[in-house]
Order: sequence, then C-alpha cells, then structure tokens
Amino acid sequence: MGKLRLGHICEAAFWLVLATFLYVESFEFDRGIEIYKFGATGWPRALLLLLAVAAIGQFTYQFLAGDKSTSGTVGAASDDGAEEAARQSGHSDFRWYVTTFCLLAVPFLYMRAHDLTGIFLTLDKEGVHTVKLVAAPLLLAVYLFLARGNQVGAILTLPLFFAALLEDLGFYAMAPLFIVGITLLMGERRARWIALTVALIMGFLLLIFVSLLYVGLPTGNISPFYDLSHLLVTLLQ
Amino acid sequence: MDPFSNFITGTVTLFSDPLGILIFFGGVVGGMLFGAIPGVSMLTLAAILLPFTAHLSAEHGIMLFSVIYCTGVYGGAITAILFNIPGAPENAPTAFDGYPMTRKGQAGKAVGAAVMCSAIGGTVSAIIMMAATAPIANWAISAFGPPEIFALVFFGLAVAATVGAKTLWKGWLSILLGLIIAVVGMDPVGGIERYDFNMPYLLAGIHFIPTILGFFAVSEIFVQAERKATGVYEAPKLSVNFPTLSELIAHKFAVFRSIVIGFFCGILPGIGATLAAFMGYNEAVRWSKDPSEFGKGKLEGVISSETANNAATGAAMIPLLALGLPGGALTAMMVGVFQMHDMEPGPLVFLNSPDLVWVVFAAMFFANLSILFVGFLETKTIINLLRIPFQFLAPLILLLATVGAYAVRGLVIDVVVMFIAGVAGFFLRRSGYSVAGIVLGLILGKIGEQTFAQAMQMLHFEWTGFYDRPIAAFLILAALLTVAGSIYSAFFKKERQ
Repeated sequence: MGKLRLGHICEAAFWLVLATFLYVESFEFDRGIEIYKFGATGWPRALLLLLAVAAIGQFTYQFLAGDKSTSGTVGAASDDGAEEAARQSGHSDFRWYVTTFCLLAVPFLYMRAHDLTGIFLTLDKEGVHTVKLVAAPLLLAVYLFLARGNQVGAILTLPLFFAALLEDLGFYAMAPLFIVGITLLMGERRARWIALTVALIMGFLLLIFVSLLYVGLPTGNISPFYDLSHLLVTLLQ
Repeated sequence: MDPFSNFITGTVTLFSDPLGILIFFGGVVGGMLFGAIPGVSMLTLAAILLPFTAHLSAEHGIMLFSVIYCTGVYGGAITAILFNIPGAPENAPTAFDGYPMTRKGQAGKAVGAAVMCSAIGGTVSAIIMMAATAPIANWAISAFGPPEIFALVFFGLAVAATVGAKTLWKGWLSILLGLIIAVVGMDPVGGIERYDFNMPYLLAGIHFIPTILGFFAVSEIFVQAERKATGVYEAPKLSVNFPTLSELIAHKFAVFRSIVIGFFCGILPGIGATLAAFMGYNEAVRWSKDPSEFGKGKLEGVISSETANNAATGAAMIPLLALGLPGGALTAMMVGVFQMHDMEPGPLVFLNSPDLVWVVFAAMFFANLSILFVGFLETKTIINLLRIPFQFLAPLILLLATVGAYAVRGLVIDVVVMFIAGVAGFFLRRSGYSVAGIVLGLILGKIGEQTFAQAMQMLHFEWTGFYDRPIAAFLILAALLTVAGSIYSAFFKKERQ
C-alpha cells in the first residue's frame, strides 16, 4: 500500500468517478457543429481526460510520498490554515465524514420533499405547500438529532438548510432564526447578546439593502410567511 | 496626451465628483477593513458589492474595485500577521514571519512594516502601470489574436497550477475542476446545452459570483468555525510599536528587489499577486546571509512579501486592461463589472473609454498612497474592531454573502449554489486543494474555450499553426516548460515538509 491511507483512495476514487460520470453524460450533447469539427464535446472530454490523468498522478504521488507537499509548488494550501484546522480538530475519521454527509443531505431532502411525496400522492399547489410546511419542522428535528456531537457538521449544514427554506418561507422570517442558530453553534449562550446580534444585523441589512438600495430579498411563497414579508417590505420602502 | 497629463485629468475627474470621492474613500476603508477582519477578505467585500455595481457607472464600479484591490491586498496582511490567517492567498507568506512576530509581541512592528512596504510597492507599481499599460495595449491590438490569448491563458493556468495547492497534482485538479464547472451551459460555438441535467437554471451556466462567494467567503467562515468549535481559535496580542526609519532603510534592497519581482509576476495572467508574494519571500530567503532566521519572526520576511504583493496590483491591471485577461480572483470580478455594463475589458477600452482608464489609474495611485496614512491610523484604531467575537461576525458575513448571491439574478438557487460551493471549498481546502485555482479555472475556462475554438477555426484546425505565430509559440513553449519543470520538481526534487 506504500504510504496510502483510506482518504487517498477515496480522493482518487472521487475524481475518477466524477470524470467517468461526466464522460458518460457528455453523450447527451454529442452533436456535431458544422463550422467546428471538435463539436460540443471536444473541450469537455479533453478536460475530463486531463482530470483523470491528474487524479492518477496525485494517487501515484500519494503512494510514493504520502501527505508531503511537492517541491514544485509555491505556497501550499496548508499555509491558509484550513489543513491545520482540520488536523487540530480531529475531524478526519470515517465516522465524522459519514455523519456530516448525512447532515448535509437533510436540506436536499427538504428541497425534494414534494417530489418524494408526489410518488405516492397527486399534489396541487396547495398540497405542495402543505408538504413543505410539514417537512420543514420534521427535517429540522432530524437535523437536530444528527447534529448532536457534530458541531462542525451542523455549522456546515445550517446555511444550506437556511438557503433551502428561503424559497418557501422567505428571508425576513428565516434570517433571524439563522442568526440565532449560527451564534448558538459558535458557542454563544448569552440570550441578551444573541438578541442584540439579531437586532443589529437585521437592522443593518434591512436599512442598507431594503430601504436604501431597494434590493428585493426572497419573500417566500407560503402564507403566512409571504404576507409577513410583504408587509415588512411595504413598511421599509 | 502624455501619461502625466492624462493622470492629472484623471485626478481632477476623480476628486471633482462627490460620488466618486465617496466611492474612493469607501473603497479605501472597506478594502482595509474587510482585509483586516478575520474570516473575510477583500474578495468577500468585492463579491458582495459586485451585484450592486450594476447601479453605479462603469467608471465608478471599476474604480471601486481597483481601490479595494490595492487596499485589500494590504489589509489581508493584518490578519496574516495577527491571526496567522492570510486575508488572501497573496498574504500567505506575510504570515510566515508576521505571525511569529506577533507571538513575540512585535505585532505593531510587523503591521507598520506592512503599511510602509505595501504603500511603497503599490505606488511604484501604479506609476509603472500608468506609463506602460497604454503602449502595451496599442501593441496588443495588432499582436494578440485568439491563438495568442489562448496561449496566454494556457500559460497562466500552467503557472497557477503551481500556486496555492499542496501538490502540483492538486493544483491541476483544482484548475481542471474550475474549467469543468465553466463548461456547464451553452457551448460557445454551436450554442448546444451541456451538463444541464434538464434544469433550466443550468442552461445559463453556473454564475461565477455565487461560486466565488462560496469558495472564498463561506468556506473561510467554515474553516474559522471549525477552529472556534474545537477551541483552537486564538485572540491576538495587540501592540502598536512601529518599526523605526532606520530599520526600514536597512531593508531598502529587499524593497527594490520585491518591487521588481512583484511587478513582473503581477503581469502574468494567473495568480499574479500570490506568485509575486511567494517569489518575493523566496528570493529574500535565497539572498539572505542567514536563511535559518526566516519563519521565526524576521522583519525582512514581512517586508519582502508585502512589497511584492502590492507591486503586483498595478501590474495585474495591465493584462486586464490591455488584453482583457484577469490576473486573479479580484481582477476576474472586475471583468464581471465590465460585462454588467456591456463592456469588454481589452485594448478597445483605451480607445473607447480613456476617461475610465485614467480615473482608475489615478484612484489606484492615491489608494496606494492612502495606505500610508489610513493604514497607520487603522493600526492604532480600527484594529481594535478585531476584538469583536467571531460568533457575532460569522452570521453577518454569511447573510451579507446571501444577499450578494441572491441580488445577482434574484434566484434562491444562486444562494444554494453559493453554500454548496462553500461546503465543497471547506472540504477541498482541508485536503490541500486551491480554491483560488478553482475560481481561476472557472473564470479563464470560458475565455480559454472560446479563444481555442476561434484559434482553431482561424488556423484551419492545424495544430502547427500555433508555432507559425511567434508570440503564441513562445507562450505555449513557456507553458509546456513550466508544466514539465513542475512535474520534474514534483517527482525528482526533495519534498517540502
């Protein structure tokens, strides 16, 4: 096995699977262009070939030298602190990755909740809204359950969950909850400070972007969140 | 008109317009502040502001970004020195000696040296830029066609692959990932949709603003959050004892050497300022009588790195304005500002919009000078804002990024893409990949494919046609030598630890 670790094998497998998947997908648009003999697939397939070559090169290098930096590079990524943070945190074992990726799947389950329900039921617009309103607290409970003991995974997932909810529930209702969530996950427990942070950040964002710059932020599309957002925008503008 | 008269005209135009003055000072303070806040950088500010530049004139938009570029490159040194968190990749070598100086209680001296040297490097670079960009632009009109631009992109990517990632292979994988993301959407010749997975959103391609916000701002927050969650996030020791004049004069040769290195590296379309900072630092080590002192808190390390990266800022404007090629992530965003105003950066900007060019040049000159005054003031005052606990800063930055990503096209999916890029950036960075490489691949990918297609059509699909054009042949040869040299170093030279 040389100096290989499980992580190195997963890394190489990821790149090679990605290259293979995208190569197979390229047949979807494998059409000729009259004035350009390489067609629409020439450039992406050349890139995929190079990607596979680089992945094999990286794998071979890791086999020979493990995690060492190469001397041909200037300024390794470890210099930016990300690798060091990962090393110090100890978040690199297989179990941590599995629980983190399970957590990261939660927002995507919410985004596809109506499709999954649609397999069993025929849904109209109101039905989709109802499914979303039921799925949101249920998946929040799943998120909280999975987040126990995986603070970093929870921090990575919360913004995605927030983004997934924006379309339906809107920025104005979700942003204060998001601020509270992130602040709590960062270790802050003083209620007054959290409330002050919510007030200051929301005040700043609404004043600058909504009142002064007239930026239209997501209002959601499910009542009563939609109505609440519109009322707020009307008051601010 | 000669460059000096143009500069005077640009200066008068800049300072006779109240909105221009406001934007200038906003950019100076904003660049320094965002550069100096741990967890964010000038790129965060620029990415957040990018959608809103649509409401400004092209002149004001580009000027704002160029000012943020100059002051932000300096601002990133503060986090590098105080927290060992480079504000941007180009500040990474500053941390090598700057952070050990902080630990020794010499933070003020390191920051003071960064202020002085950033101002000197940037100002000299701005002067050379004003004298050199127009002649280069005039020459470029006739000398640079699609084959040459493709060759230049190839060369830029070959150099960029050696910067920022842990290994050469990871550098290439980062760039190739960016190039592949750029493929999504319509192909540039036949308009055939690629990798759209039947999602209408993907037909227009993945927008680079949410991607940049995700890979830089959001991933940085995640990295810092991990440090915070695991209790390794440290507050810095603050001190304001500046370096003495004699200490700075003693390093005059290092300053001169770094200006030369910085300027020439900055011209390269790729990661100019980053390469400049590392080369500046590496040369300082190579020329030193006692290289073992570097990395332990040597003032010359900070001086060399900071002079070189700011010297690259002016130079990076040359490929952007003369050829339309961005030299790094921030100049790539400037391309976005141009595009928002239905303009293409390149030689024609000098003919069609000379006012814009000279206002930007004047603004960059004064922005670099202002580092000297505002920078010292900042060291004593604004630096105290760094005491704001990270748990209160993180939600603000994430929500600013959310607003920035959403404001581009009014699509929530852009916010989702941004956070996916943030999570991907987090995992890629902790595995030694370069997010700067991914973003450069994404930006240069579209230019690269388009110019490659145009070049091949021009050359009647004869590959040897590249070698009949001296500039293209030289650049492709240089790129191939760079690739061969880096592969040789990767396999046959002693590994770095």
